[in-house]
Order: sequence, then C-alpha cells, then structure tokens
Amino acid sequence: MRSRYPLCALLRFSSHHNLVVELVSADLEEVAQKCGLSYKALVALRRVLLAQFSAFPFNGADLYEELKTTTAILSTGIGSLDKLLDAGLYTGEVTEIVGAPGSGKTQVCLCVAANVAHGLQQNVLYIDSNGGLTASRILQLLQARTLDEEEQAGALQRIQVVRAFDIFQMLGALQDLRGAVSQQVRSSSGTLKVVVVDSVAAVVAPLLGGQQREGLALMVQLARELKTLARDLSVAVLVTNHMTRDRDSGQLKPALGRSWSFVPSTRLLLDSTQGSGSLGSRRVACLTKSPRLPTGCQETVDLGSWGTPAFQGDHKGHWEQSPVFQGDHT
Amino acid sequence: MCSDFHRAESGTELLARLEGRSSLKEIEPHLFADEESPVHGDILEFHGAEGTGKTEMLYHLTARCILPKSEGGLEVEVVFIDTDYHFDMLRLVTVLEHRLSQSSEEAVRHCLGRLFLLYCGGSTQLLLTLCSLQTMLCSHPSVCLLILDSLSAFYWIDRANGGESVNLQESTLKKCAHLLEKLVNEYRLVLFATTQSIMQKASNPEEGPSCAFNRPSDVDVDYRPYLCKAWQQVVKRRILFSKQNDSKAGNQFSLVSRHLKSNNLKKHFFTIGESGVEFC
Repeated sequence: MRSRYPLCALLRFSSHHNLVVELVSADLEEVAQKCGLSYKALVALRRVLLAQFSAFPFNGADLYEELKTTTAILSTGIGSLDKLLDAGLYTGEVTEIVGAPGSGKTQVCLCVAANVAHGLQQNVLYIDSNGGLTASRILQLLQARTLDEEEQAGALQRIQVVRAFDIFQMLGALQDLRGAVSQQVRSSSGTLKVVVVDSVAAVVAPLLGGQQREGLALMVQLARELKTLARDLSVAVLVTNHMTRDRDSGQLKPALGRSWSFVPSTRLLLDSTQGSGSLGSRRVACLTKSPRLPTGCQETVDLGSWGTPAFQGDHKGHWEQSPVFQGDHT
Repeated sequence: MCSDFHRAESGTELLARLEGRSSLKEIEPHLFADEESPVHGDILEFHGAEGTGKTEMLYHLTARCILPKSEGGLEVEVVFIDTDYHFDMLRLVTVLEHRLSQSSEEAVRHCLGRLFLLYCGGSTQLLLTLCSLQTMLCSHPSVCLLILDSLSAFYWIDRANGGESVNLQESTLKKCAHLLEKLVNEYRLVLFATTQSIMQKASNPEEGPSCAFNRPSDVDVDYRPYLCKAWQQVVKRRILFSKQNDSKAGNQFSLVSRHLKSNNLKKHFFTIGESGVEFC
C-alpha cells in the first residue's frame, strides 16, 4: 500500500540524522517495501542526490589547462626568500613561515604585503591576530620604495586589514571574503592575490591541549578553509606559526602539532640565533618543506635592509591621521 | 552489477568489467616484487608523518600508469580522490615531463587525459562520491588504479561531530571502507590510500585519544592505529614511510612494506629528485 506522504515514510525508516547517507547506501528494495514507495521513484531520487552531492570528476588535462591560466607566482620582494620559494609565493597554495618570537615573521609578512600592493599592484587581505600590523610600519616599507605620495596611498588602499583575535572571528573573516568575491564586488585597483594570516598559532594554540576534540576539529576546519580559499580564489595564502619544544627530544619544532604539519605546501624556518645575535638584523631562512625544491636549502636574509624610511618626521605626522588605510570589518 | 537498475548486465559491460582492466603486476617492480605484486582487488595503505614521501610515491605510481606504453608506462586510467586539496598538478606535470622522451605539451596533455580528479569536502561527500563512482567505472573500463589521498583528512571533524558515541564518529568512515572494498573487488582495481600519522608517541597521549596505544614501534616507524576497525580489516598491505635523518644521506627516505596476512616485511630506500621517486 502506497503511503500518501512519501517523505514521512522515509523519515520513519531512518532514525539517523543523515537521511541522504542512509538513502544512498541502503538497499532500495528493502526501503521500497518498508515505506510502501515505488522502487523506481527511489532509484530516481538516489540518482538525483548523488548527482547533486557527490564530487565532480575533473579530467586531468582540463584541470591542467585551467591551472596554467590561473596560477601566478608572486615575488615576496626579498630576493633571498624568492630563491628558496622557487621565484615566490604560488597562488593556490598555503605557505608557512615559522620562527621563534622576534625572528622576523611579521616583518616578512609586511614586506610581502607592501611588495604585492605596490610592486605588483594587486590586492592583499591581511588578517592580523597578533597586533603586529600598524599603519606606520607598512608606510615605512612603502616610503622606502617610492617617494610619490599618490603611489603610497594607492598601495595602502590595496591592503585590507582585518583583526581577528579568536578562531571564530578568523573563520568569519574568511567567510566574508568568500561572500564579497561571490557577489563579485569589483575593486577598481586590482584583484586579490594574497591572503596573509599573522599568526595562525595565536588563534589555534589556545584551543589545543588537554583532551578537547573540538579544538583539533576547529583547527582542521580552519586549515581546510585556507586551502580551499587558496584553490578556489587562486590566491597565495601566507601564514605564520610559532615554535614549541618537542617533549621528547627538547628540540624546537613548529607549533600546532602533527595534524597542522600536513597543511602548508611550503614551510620556511626563520632563525635568529645564528649570525649576529638578536640585536642584529640578519636572519637565516631555511626551507623545511617544499613541493618543488629539495629541503634543507638556506639563505641569509637581512631584515634591516627593508623598509628603512627615507625620510623621518615630515610624512609620519601627515599619514597617521589618514582615514584611507584602516579597512576594519567586524 | 554496475548499475542499480533492474536489468541484466549486457555482454559488453561484462567484458569491460572483466577484461578491460589490465594487469597491474608491473606497476612498480621495486616495490612489489614477485608474488606480492598488487593484484586486482588489493588495498594498500600508505602511512607516515609529514614530509616522508607518501604523496611523491603516489605521483610516481600515477605517472607510471598514465604514461603511454611507448614511454614505459602502462597506459591505464587513474582515479585520484583528493580530500585535503593536497594534489599538486604542477608537480605531477614536472614528473611527467622528466619521464617523457619528448616532453611536448601535447604528450603531457595526452597523459593527463587518463587522470580523473575528484575533490571531497567531507566524509559524507566522500561516501556519496564512492557511490557514484560505480557509474563512472562502468563507462571507463580502463581505470585500474584508485588513489585516495588521504583517508584520515576528516578524522578530527568526524570525531567532533559524532558526539560521545565512537560508533557514530566512525560510522561514515566504516561505510566508506566497506564501499571501497566492494568497488575494488567488483571492478578489479588496486587502491592506494594514504593515512597521515597524526598521533603522538604513546608516552605523550596529549594529542591522541584517551585510550593508550601501547603498541611497540614497528621496525623503527611508529604506527598508531586510529581509524575504524572496518578500515584496518580491509587493508591487505600496509606501507610505512619515514625519512632518514642522517645528514650525509641527504634526502633519503625509507619505506617498510608489510603484507598483513603473511606478515611479510620488506624494507626499501628511495630518494626524491626532480623526476620523482627513484629507488636506491
């Protein structure tokens, strides 16, 4: 006897919360008998559900053609880092910079933002969870590149800053970005090419530790958001991470554990203990993970040579009151 | 049966299913020598920590399969399921270019035409994708290799979503494991699935689940089983990857291949160069 209300019949069949999974993996003859529904109708329904929800098979050749047109390599503005990164930051990938406090991670991020905004004339989204980004620091970097105030203003406009002090704010910022892109909010000054997250450890580290499963699940969710963002929007994602001490060996290693270690495609370690000590501006960057180059390569990076302001005093006072810079979204 | 319709399998479909799938005995002579070569219906698990060469090995095997016979390949099709957006097409193209005698765009594109990629965003989508894979396998009789990178991508998310019940946490993965076994047996495929080594050593159970895994290390490499029992049971052979830490060895990697029924162990060494994996 056929039930008048097919959906109710189906719901009676499944007590599990995921009806789609149940329908798709069940024996449809059995379901048809139990619910009094037509077998053909169930088969058709199943076909529709699979077409709707399962992944679409892409042909490798088509995907390669698409990648050739959408992938870009963005120079960091620092020659020695570009060498380690095989010409620069690749869009579609997550690159991680890891180092102890004071090793220069934020400085690298700021330099990348300044270079992409001014040198490459593309937009940057800078998610700051550290408080390390200030208008004056970016301005100093820009002033070192150009004395033209119009160019400096233009570059500043291409850097959008979002402050996120916990993981939910960060996930929200990424969602907002997707929303803006899907509504095709056109920016007159260029397309978004880089998303900087400084730092990811600041929002994830408080969630880890103890027996909390939710913390790790949130971290994995953030990781997936960053990776899918990089792929879907063809942007380069640059994240920073701290170091922690390994419990057994006492050696320093990147924080956030094993589950996070799989996330970035490329990892650069910034070390400030070698060279001229903490007062010096020289750092050693070491490539510890790469999809293209052999790991273990090292380059010396001089922090002091970037962003030395050409003029002190005059412009500083003028720009700090400028409203064009802060693009906070809450 | 390759369809859930109530009709008999046609003669051509039967032939496609049984004969179209060429043998994969020569897929990697170094890795699968003599009788332990992966035959149809084999499920192999690649397990290891980050940076130990699992994905590179997958590119190596994929390249071997999709290259034409004239270039030393097997000229079969590969289905690659990517669960964590890890697949690097540019790297695969570099590997192919190094292995082709004439690395023209046309030749590369021809090879890539034999590769199918599916991106899955969650364990439910993985399950649904595996269900719909049956239709795809019917229409592509030359698919011989199924790659899943990686099976453990949704582990923490599933655990958080499942609440307190371990059964609920593992239910979708259990279904996926059963479905994978069914697909591999019915369509005579070989499945390579990677699982990440995400649990810390037993002395520090902070990251791992509360029940202690006091299993002694397997031949230098620590293996902590954390995926559901259903998966552990369908795996025929487990390959553990690790990186050598000696400074003189440079970029040397090692893998230990264990056949789970016969408990046969084999160790191999390899390096990773521009052209991919090279066995020592």
